[in-house]
Amino acid sequence: MGDLFSQFDPFLQASIRMAVPLILAGIGTLYTERTGVLNIGVEGSMLVGTFAGVAGAVVSGNIFFAALCAMLAGGLLSLIFAYLVVNRRGDQLVAGFAINLLALGLTLTLMPYLNANRTRAVLFPVIDTGFLKEIPVLGPMVFNQSIAVWLAFILTPVSAWILYKTSWGLNLRAVGENPKAVATAGLSVIRLRYIGVLLGGLFAGLGGAALALNDLGFFVPNMTLSRGFIVLAALVVGKWNPFSFAGVCLLFGAADALQLRAQTFGSVIPYQFYLMLPYLLTIAALAGLVGKTKAPK
Amino acid sequence: MEEQQQTRNILEHQQGLIDFFIAGSRPIVSILLAFLVSGVFIYLQGKNPLVAYAAVLRGSFGSIVAIGNTCVRTTPLLIGALGMTLGIRGGLFNVGGEGQLYLGAAAATAVGLLPLPVPSWMHILLAIIAGILGGAFWALLPALLRAFRGISEIVVTIMLNFVGIYFVSYLVHEPKLLAQEGASYAQSRTILESAILPILVKGTSMHLGIIIAVILGIILHFVLKYSTFGFRTRMVGANPEASNYAGVKVKYSLLITFLIMGGFYGLMGTVEVLGLKYALYDNFSAGLGYETIAVALLGGANPIGVIFSAFFFGALKAGGNLMQQTVGIPSSMVQVIQALAVLFIVGFGFMRRKSSSYKNDDSARSLDDANKGIGDI
Repeated sequence: MGDLFSQFDPFLQASIRMAVPLILAGIGTLYTERTGVLNIGVEGSMLVGTFAGVAGAVVSGNIFFAALCAMLAGGLLSLIFAYLVVNRRGDQLVAGFAINLLALGLTLTLMPYLNANRTRAVLFPVIDTGFLKEIPVLGPMVFNQSIAVWLAFILTPVSAWILYKTSWGLNLRAVGENPKAVATAGLSVIRLRYIGVLLGGLFAGLGGAALALNDLGFFVPNMTLSRGFIVLAALVVGKWNPFSFAGVCLLFGAADALQLRAQTFGSVIPYQFYLMLPYLLTIAALAGLVGKTKAPK
Repeated sequence: MEEQQQTRNILEHQQGLIDFFIAGSRPIVSILLAFLVSGVFIYLQGKNPLVAYAAVLRGSFGSIVAIGNTCVRTTPLLIGALGMTLGIRGGLFNVGGEGQLYLGAAAATAVGLLPLPVPSWMHILLAIIAGILGGAFWALLPALLRAFRGISEIVVTIMLNFVGIYFVSYLVHEPKLLAQEGASYAQSRTILESAILPILVKGTSMHLGIIIAVILGIILHFVLKYSTFGFRTRMVGANPEASNYAGVKVKYSLLITFLIMGGFYGLMGTVEVLGLKYALYDNFSAGLGYETIAVALLGGANPIGVIFSAFFFGALKAGGNLMQQTVGIPSSMVQVIQALAVLFIVGFGFMRRKSSSYKNDDSARSLDDANKGIGDI
């Protein structure tokens, strides 16, 4: 185990890096759930975001275009979900499940086209913070990260501000708490829910792009590995508050990073058990927390 | 008076028939639409969708071997989807079939490797029991959390899928446990001949599993429809609060339903090993557990409907392989067709909680009903 922690800085840096796709995806999903909709299709939106992000990056060589592709793909998929659930009033679990299956099937079917072009995709550039990155521990951990990580840092407080300090945020929260009151007040429940679901899809796509384009630059089948569901769990554990949610994501990021490091360093415990870590942590977090949170309805 | 009553009865009867045909035609229309949309998608890839679908048809029903392949593909889908059907009827949405089938397969493999001094049918039976218990064991934790602590099963079962898959991966990498040393792809040792399910038609891969699966479907149909257990399960699924007032022990009903569902998935993994693969492979199922959910939904969560739906998707999967070989369309296209069919069926109102009306506040109310307990994931 000594080997495992000999490089503590890279571990911390990786923890944050692995948490960022979760945070980005969750920031949007937070809005979805605040409007009273549960979209398990966020996993599918993340997956197509990963794919479209890599595809956009390979085709254009421009990271911003890639991020845009990812958001559009994730958002488009979430609109299908919104139509089925909000307009057609279908079962949200079934609709979300089908969205995930569709995303998996589509990305697998289109994969050969992506790999035909074997160039490595452009990545989110690391922001040079000058002397700040020389600070011990905090320097490499926070100040030597890519633009996607900074985006997550910035968006967390911004989304909290929108949610709690603007009247629009109040409307969104109200739809989740008491849709009838919102309808009586003359606001469109359907429209607010569409916006909530769409925001979830857009940011899930961006989170997916961050997963592939932060350090890897390529796509592998089923790349998200149910991170979308970890996001849903983290929202419950973080009680639908942007800050505590981001904190929970950092914990999951650390479990992911530990798993990656254990694989590269090798240890007595078989690597498969490290791979289980983030998933076991999610179950433990959910099981330890029951009854203490009240969901937006 | 009497005449009026009679007319009314006839009218109601006709309405019932119409409802029946609408309910029955929805999955078929959904599947046709899914083929249509997928056809456009195949066309966009520069291939002729009709040629692709013809290849699917040849690969699934074109010869005795093809029909055998269809049955082999149908078997696991059907067994798993029957478990899922029981779950849906009992108010559970178990996304953990994938993990449960891995654990079932692992337990069955372990028994299949033991040189037991028993006749072959006994060896098979013991392996099947082990597999069922393995699947039920993997359902135990989410079942307890759902029944006694009210944690929704969705996230927990998904997470356990990964834990189960990695655990099996460990088993087939570790020579001291199940692994075959020197294998090019991580796998267990081959199970003993006495534990292998008999082949039904010589020259095909069709094994006993398909008979087991269809019989299970018919049994489940009668159990759900006519037995006290079936009635109680459906009652808890339809309205847990009312069941509670009626004196049903809702928690235990949920627990039992969940464990039986896990057993079905354990059997699904078992049959794959004993009937088709004869060994446990790393990552051997590749998402089959998730596909059973689509099969159950398209079968209307009704055992007889599920038998047809499983055969349909089994054929599609068997034919999908030929489509990949001859037309060059990846067989993952089958998943796209499945997903689209489920999306269409949701759009047509399967499992919709209230009749349609598009007024603003009405939408608010019905979503509210549909989303009871949303936060408890």
